[in-house]
Amino acid sequence: MKNNKIIRFIFTFPVIVYSIFLIFLPLVYIFIISFFESDSYGGMIKNFTLNNYRELFNSVYIGIFLKSFLIALITTFFCIIISYPFVLAISRKNKRIQKILITLVMVPFLTNSLIRMYGFIVLLRKYGVINQVLMNLGIIHDPINLMYNNFGILIGMIYTLLPFMILPLYNAVSAIDKSLIEAASDLFASRFKIFCKVIFPSTIPALFNGSLMVFTPALGYFFIVDILGGGKIMILGSLIKNQFLTARNWPFGAAISVALILITFIFIYLYRKIGGKMDDLGGM
Amino acid sequence: MKNRKLMDNLCLILVFTFLFLPILVLIIFSFNSSSLNIIFEGFTFSWYKTLFSNVTLLESLKNTLIVAFTSTIASTIIGTISAYALYKYNFPFKKFINELLYIPIVIPEIVLGISLLCVYTLLQLELGLFTIILAHICFCIPFVIVSVRTSLSSMNPNLELAASDLGASRFKTFFYVVLPSLLPGILSGAELSFTLSLDDVVVSYFTAGPSSTTLPLKVYSMIKTGVTPDVNALITIMLVIIFSLLMISTFISLKGIKKEGTR
Amino acid sequence: MRKLLIITFLLFLTGCSREETKELNVLNWSSYIPDSVIQAFEKETNIKVNYGTYSSNEECLAKISNTKLGTYDLVFPSDYMVEIMISRDLLQPIDRFRLTNFQNLNPVYLNLDYDPKNEYSIPFIAASTVISVNREFIQDEITSYNDLLNPKYENEIVLIEDQRIIIGLALLANGFDMNSTDERELEIAKNWLLKLKPNIKAYDSDSPKNFLITKEAAIGILWNAEAALAKMENPNIENIFPEEGIALSIDNFTLLKGAKNVDEAYQFIDYILREDVMKEIILSYPYKNVNLKTEELLDSSYLENEAANFSDSYIAKGKFVKNIGSSIKLYDRIWAFIK
Repeated sequence: MKNNKIIRFIFTFPVIVYSIFLIFLPLVYIFIISFFESDSYGGMIKNFTLNNYRELFNSVYIGIFLKSFLIALITTFFCIIISYPFVLAISRKNKRIQKILITLVMVPFLTNSLIRMYGFIVLLRKYGVINQVLMNLGIIHDPINLMYNNFGILIGMIYTLLPFMILPLYNAVSAIDKSLIEAASDLFASRFKIFCKVIFPSTIPALFNGSLMVFTPALGYFFIVDILGGGKIMILGSLIKNQFLTARNWPFGAAISVALILITFIFIYLYRKIGGKMDDLGGM
Repeated sequence: MKNRKLMDNLCLILVFTFLFLPILVLIIFSFNSSSLNIIFEGFTFSWYKTLFSNVTLLESLKNTLIVAFTSTIASTIIGTISAYALYKYNFPFKKFINELLYIPIVIPEIVLGISLLCVYTLLQLELGLFTIILAHICFCIPFVIVSVRTSLSSMNPNLELAASDLGASRFKTFFYVVLPSLLPGILSGAELSFTLSLDDVVVSYFTAGPSSTTLPLKVYSMIKTGVTPDVNALITIMLVIIFSLLMISTFISLKGIKKEGTR
Repeated sequence: MRKLLIITFLLFLTGCSREETKELNVLNWSSYIPDSVIQAFEKETNIKVNYGTYSSNEECLAKISNTKLGTYDLVFPSDYMVEIMISRDLLQPIDRFRLTNFQNLNPVYLNLDYDPKNEYSIPFIAASTVISVNREFIQDEITSYNDLLNPKYENEIVLIEDQRIIIGLALLANGFDMNSTDERELEIAKNWLLKLKPNIKAYDSDSPKNFLITKEAAIGILWNAEAALAKMENPNIENIFPEEGIALSIDNFTLLKGAKNVDEAYQFIDYILREDVMKEIILSYPYKNVNLKTEELLDSSYLENEAANFSDSYIAKGKFVKNIGSSIKLYDRIWAFIK
């Protein structure tokens, strides 16, 4: 019996240590810091204050919250718009081709996302590939601005996050019972009707899952805004990064992070409400 | 019907073009004789030669690979044991811990990055490869747990019982009975960890130290100061390797699908 | 247990790669010392240089304070940041008698306010902000920062990403002190920057010259070496020192408290101060040279490049960024607002 206890200890020890020391305590620490005061050049004074949270409601920072939400929302929207027809098109191929195509979706992912952003610079800049091609074809006269603006940021975000929408959607669509669709079409239901009545309802949790995995990272991807936006637009991620790596106001940066965590938790709560399974979030 | 097929294929082509265009451009420019990545001036292999004398770039690649392999191995082992522990045993705060495990999956990476940075600073840990690896392990484990759990839920519980009835010790049962049946989940978890670790920018950005610049961080600073095409050459080589590995593994698993189909 | 094993294994892995050779951990501005100089130093001394970069003084301070003392040995803060670092007890004194090449330095740049006896800092180079204009696209006369507000220049301007400098120049443009902490004056500077906003293409501190060279932008407010390099690449570029004055900065070698590789750091400083090495640096990144012996080696291509070797009359009109204490929060807020 004692032996059993030891074995149990050996098996349960890693997960307890891991979740307490690498997840729980860091977040608690951030939470605590967010109530500290900061001195002018980066020190923290261990006095309790709500000023950091009050500062969050300064119109400047509210503006940044709204801007980031808008960018993340548009990104999510386009990811859905692109993923749906794409996933449906894949699901109509045979199983082997499906497998190959889904693997192909993952290929760009295995190079680093920064490297792909660099590819976008080569494509999108003023005298980059796209502008050159368009000018040589005589479609445009002067180069158009494709990056260092909101367009560039959105392209980068959509590109980086698209697979997070495609994969859960694909899993959901391929789990739909094909005979159901066949039966429906035998009953002369229009394709639109099949989509609304059969396909769409069974993909709602996956859609929410994908949106979650697209929306929250989009709030934080400072490097995309930095590279494709020219650093002139600030999103929550860049704001947090600045507080920690430039302005060195840790307490304020921590307060923004806590706000971000709360927002994420609200989404998770909603996701569970509509019947989403947590395990699906990690099963890309 | 034909119309629909056409639309399907058009959609596939468009999305894949979007996905592959930035990479394709980099590959093409790795053979460009001009160093500016702007106009294709002529064909050359010379960047592949300069690549091998670019010590800092190669070192950043080495760091990236060390990080990716170590964190994948570590998180796969810890993740598998953890998933089994959560499946098999009851322990204090189990429910709470179970919830905690989803946090690295769902919170924005930047929050994870800075919270780890704060703790590292608190503990006076020196930032370097070790801190990056620890951070990567931190966000990979939950993905391994989730994917191993999927395998666990489809495992036949009688298998374990039978083994222990036959007198096998707990460890023996785990290694000879449980592990083999979890292998698909473990492998896909490891694959996911490897991908996530290779792809990560944000967490590494906050947890790297002076002697541990990884490839993405190196590319980040190069993007700002001017990229030379030997980076393109490096990316091309990496892609060729990754692509062939992926294709091999896909074909192996495709054979599996075929067999199932004929059965 | 297994985890412990792995961790010890990892510690061992990172540990042994560290002990093989002599090392030096340098944290420097990006585009400051060419790779070739670092490699030559490594070859000559057998010291492996781990080289990290930052793009503003604030980032430098944050990187040091976020890490354990001893992570970095040498950093290159500007004047006001040297003062801050001294006051925060981050630096250790530098013994100039251990530097055989110290006497190469131009005394004009020694014993300045921020470190009156150069106890903690040794000047490396001096820099100033410059307006660069590509005359291929822009013919108008530009003599003042206010000329940049012209709506014709929509999406054409690249700026250094440094909040103290950019807000400081906005204050200058409106006739205020560059280090003002007056809320009314800062409000005016903020509104001035908002007016400039539609014209801004990007903020970039690391290599803004690329924007001008690739014709991505037609106007830039750059550090002088970047401006000088842009001019060398493209003769159409004109570099202008506006009438309201410029932001000046003197960047220094400083040795951090807790540095683990002090001897190596001295070797590095002495190596960089050598006239031929400094010449190579100055030719790669043509900032204002502060090394008298190097001056003798430089030819007209550097000496007559107005942006690189800017005249002393501009120095008289130049302004230094000063430590403004907790008022920095006002600057933070403006910076977040204009983005």
